[in-house]
Amino acid sequence: MIAVAVFSFMKNPSVTEAVMSAMIRFAVPLMLGALCGIYCERAGIVNIGIEGQMLLSAFTAYMTNVWTGNLILALLAGALTGALLGYFLAVISIKLKLNQIIGGTVINILAIGITGFFYQVGMTTKGKFGPIRLGPLAKIPLVGPVLFNNPPITYIAFLMVIISHIIFFHTRWGLRTRAVGEHPRAADTLGIDVFKTRYLNTIIGGALAGLAGAFLTLEGVGTFERNMTNGRGFIALAVMIFGKWNPIGSALAALLFGLANALQTQLQFMGINIPHQFIGMIPYALTIVVVSGFIGRSRSPAAEGTPYEKE
Amino acid sequence: MSKKFVLVFSLIIVASMMLAACAKPAPTPAEPVAPAEPAAPAAATEADCAKPEVICIGLVTDVGEVDDKSFNQASWEGVVAGGKEVDAIVNYVETKDAKDYVANMQLFLDKGYDILVTVGFALGDATVEAAKANPDVKFIGVDQFQGEVVPNLAGLIFDEAKSGFLAGVLAGKLTKTKVVAAVLGTDLVPPVVNFNRGYVAGAKWVDPEINVISTYHPGGMDVAFTDPDWGATTARQAIGQKADVVFGAGGKTGNGALIEAASNEGLYCIGVDTDQWETVPEAHKCLVSSATKAISPSIVDLIKMAKDGSFPGGNYIGSSALAPFHDFEAIITQEIKDALDEGLKAYDANAITLPEK
Amino acid sequence: MEQKTPSKNNWLMTIWRTIRVPLLAILSALLVGAVILLVSGADPLKAYAALFKGAFGNANYLKRTLEKTTPLIFAGLSVTFAFKAGLFNIGAQGQLLMGAITAGFLGFAIKGLPPVLHIVLALLGGCAAGAFYGLIPGLLRSYSGAHEVITTIMLNYIAINLTDYLADGPWKDRSGTNVIARLPLIEDSARIPFFGPVPVGFIIAILIAFIIWYMLERTNFGFEINSVGLNSHASRYAGMKTKLLMTSALVVAGLLAGFGGSVETLGVVGRFQPGFNAGLGFDGITVALLGRSNPFGVILSSLLLGAMKGGANVMQFDAKVPHEIIDVIQSMMLFFVTADLVIRKLFRIIKDTGGEVTLTAGWGQK
Repeated sequence: MIAVAVFSFMKNPSVTEAVMSAMIRFAVPLMLGALCGIYCERAGIVNIGIEGQMLLSAFTAYMTNVWTGNLILALLAGALTGALLGYFLAVISIKLKLNQIIGGTVINILAIGITGFFYQVGMTTKGKFGPIRLGPLAKIPLVGPVLFNNPPITYIAFLMVIISHIIFFHTRWGLRTRAVGEHPRAADTLGIDVFKTRYLNTIIGGALAGLAGAFLTLEGVGTFERNMTNGRGFIALAVMIFGKWNPIGSALAALLFGLANALQTQLQFMGINIPHQFIGMIPYALTIVVVSGFIGRSRSPAAEGTPYEKE
Repeated sequence: MSKKFVLVFSLIIVASMMLAACAKPAPTPAEPVAPAEPAAPAAATEADCAKPEVICIGLVTDVGEVDDKSFNQASWEGVVAGGKEVDAIVNYVETKDAKDYVANMQLFLDKGYDILVTVGFALGDATVEAAKANPDVKFIGVDQFQGEVVPNLAGLIFDEAKSGFLAGVLAGKLTKTKVVAAVLGTDLVPPVVNFNRGYVAGAKWVDPEINVISTYHPGGMDVAFTDPDWGATTARQAIGQKADVVFGAGGKTGNGALIEAASNEGLYCIGVDTDQWETVPEAHKCLVSSATKAISPSIVDLIKMAKDGSFPGGNYIGSSALAPFHDFEAIITQEIKDALDEGLKAYDANAITLPEK
Repeated sequence: MEQKTPSKNNWLMTIWRTIRVPLLAILSALLVGAVILLVSGADPLKAYAALFKGAFGNANYLKRTLEKTTPLIFAGLSVTFAFKAGLFNIGAQGQLLMGAITAGFLGFAIKGLPPVLHIVLALLGGCAAGAFYGLIPGLLRSYSGAHEVITTIMLNYIAINLTDYLADGPWKDRSGTNVIARLPLIEDSARIPFFGPVPVGFIIAILIAFIIWYMLERTNFGFEINSVGLNSHASRYAGMKTKLLMTSALVVAGLLAGFGGSVETLGVVGRFQPGFNAGLGFDGITVALLGRSNPFGVILSSLLLGAMKGGANVMQFDAKVPHEIIDVIQSMMLFFVTADLVIRKLFRIIKDTGGEVTLTAGWGQK
């Protein structure tokens, strides 16, 4: 794939750069959403409410932007909303031991209802996050402008991928979390607080989903529209599974999905007319293939989905 | 235990309600206007619609809201303005489920409404049926091509390709890179496709060397017009390929493209359907003009015609033109204006061939 | 005579016990809705009155309510049946679409058949399509462990894309001046009729609900399905073919959803048109949960949701209230139903129907 990229760069640099930039832009909310899923599921909580978390966070981030004009504040508002909803899911799953899929569904429907009902047209914002050039790094051909000339949330997303990877696989915290997700009873006997771990991870995950929502309204578009998440939260789940519950794997999967989208657009630009529905189907079909194990084994954390009962 | 839970939950609800309530009140077109003529002895209400002397005008939207910054909104504004002209009571219903078109129309018919405006080609069949069943009511079908003439039904159609063509000429004249872009809703909607065809033809008419890169949203009807993030990213992709004029034609998806173009220095963007200078202020930095369909004024005209008995059944072609240039008036040189005039003449003389799609 | 009274009391008590949870949930949700309406300056009483009138006010309104209820019953039954086997069928939407387009195709492509035969044929086709679309995730779940939540969500998107393509491409209606992406109108012989305001499809839905109830409560197959749902390991030890049962559950679920889509196309719409079935699959989940995974409960909750959807436009027309409030109330209902289970746990109220089912156990293979 890298060879193809380099090759196409030689032929037509601006096109390649544009496609790669678009790929990253499509991928960012998916990446953050997938990270949310990873934090939750690695600790044993199934979260299908990522879509609702994104939507409501996008809304609050937007409203804060309208209200205060302060983008940083708006970003925090979005992350906070996500975190709150994460806490909500955690309480449902851990304290009340209810079915986590229902909890996620409630979040989704609630988000649609609240944002649809309260959104009023006619408000404007003073703008959105612009790109920040990272000095000389941005001058590297191909890689430079694509990777190092991006708005803040994009950088945060990439950073979080790396940080999360380190956390999960190279820290005690990550080890504990994974233990809780695989064998909560064993973890418990080792003195790990299962409940607290699950709470914290779900809240962190929620904040990440909140960032994804904030990305849409603060960096992607600049305004809010009803239902603007359009299923990205569910695709993020697919990305997470595709990436085998690994932050870096998921990031790559997100880029793949993003690439599919960017390519589809590019083909249209170039006048090649394949019925777009077929290209649209590809990411979903691929996910099914991966989940079914036709491409390597894909195993989820063993204890996810079941509430933990202390003896 | 569950108290803490209820607390958190209520927090979320209250927080979002506060956010919304504290937001600056928007000039929503949502309130139906009751006639406010001071001279009237007693204000007529909706209950009087059945009376012959009270005019009531209703609007049924396509799936979507009346504040969608484009189609439905323009139609509603036309109804409100037309209502003022003829002293009428006006009301609307937003369709949520496509299967409700007939039922929504019936709401108005049951109350004795005199004029009914239905928005969008999807309501075409339902409107024809309703018109035939209610010959005393006047129907205005926005974007509904009439295959046969039903005397009390006026199909308000526009030549989207014409204003698209003008937009293309404008883009062709303004571009310095010889690359222009169009971000479109979906190819499932014929007016959108016509805008594009005109746009491509217009740009090429100025200079056949110009590269027009246009793209339709890959999703279905339920997402194609409400995906501003896709619109923005796609616009970005086009801009990365040196497009310096972006035509956003696809509801909120297109709006995303306009806003993206506005956040870059030195680009131009063109809106669609209505004068988006008013509806998408975030795009002011680049919004030179919009390829409009004169929805509101045409509706006002038709309403007036309905009142004085000269209602035209069959197809009624509204005007399509470019919106005013607003702050960009200065850069529109005489040369550009001449080109637009010339192009218009050529188009009207049927001298332009439009591409397939 | 003496025996009748105590058993009658018991019967009433059982009904009360089953109903009180969802009833309280609905009332609480309406209350929350009323508060939100008040806060945004609307009149809740007027709004709810208009809603009710819009749902049941006259024959036409009633007809629409029933029309909207019918596909919900099917979708709800679809999700419920899968629930019983411990599976989450989020793919009702996709299965419904496949059934709808197949029925729509058979409806116009075949000409010259007598009405009853045509309808039956189109319905069978739709059921088969839905069943097939449920077979895919069923097989994947049973034989490679792929969690049906993910596969069915993905299949939903694939179904949307596929049906959009067919409706705009090979099967598009090219008659007259039509440019809209949709299939041609079905032949009159394929239309499902009405009895006055009652769509025959609604009657069919009720019948199917009975059949499903009977299947689950009184047949061996149903017993095994329930067993797998409650404890798949124990069932396997007891000799049941759990993989086969899980697959069958999704096949039946798909069939039901496809049936619903077909009835909708043949009875209400008259052709397949993309966008005419939006959201029904997800509403099926709400309906199934509100109906406590009981076929009769599903009928009632479908009626409730159908009435709300049916009355929403009158509510907007009369009381000037945006229809999104219905979404908020809907999610509140869902929330309170699930929260109510909490209250039971807290107060150790004995549960009356169904046990806690292990619905989630990871996405991938074990």
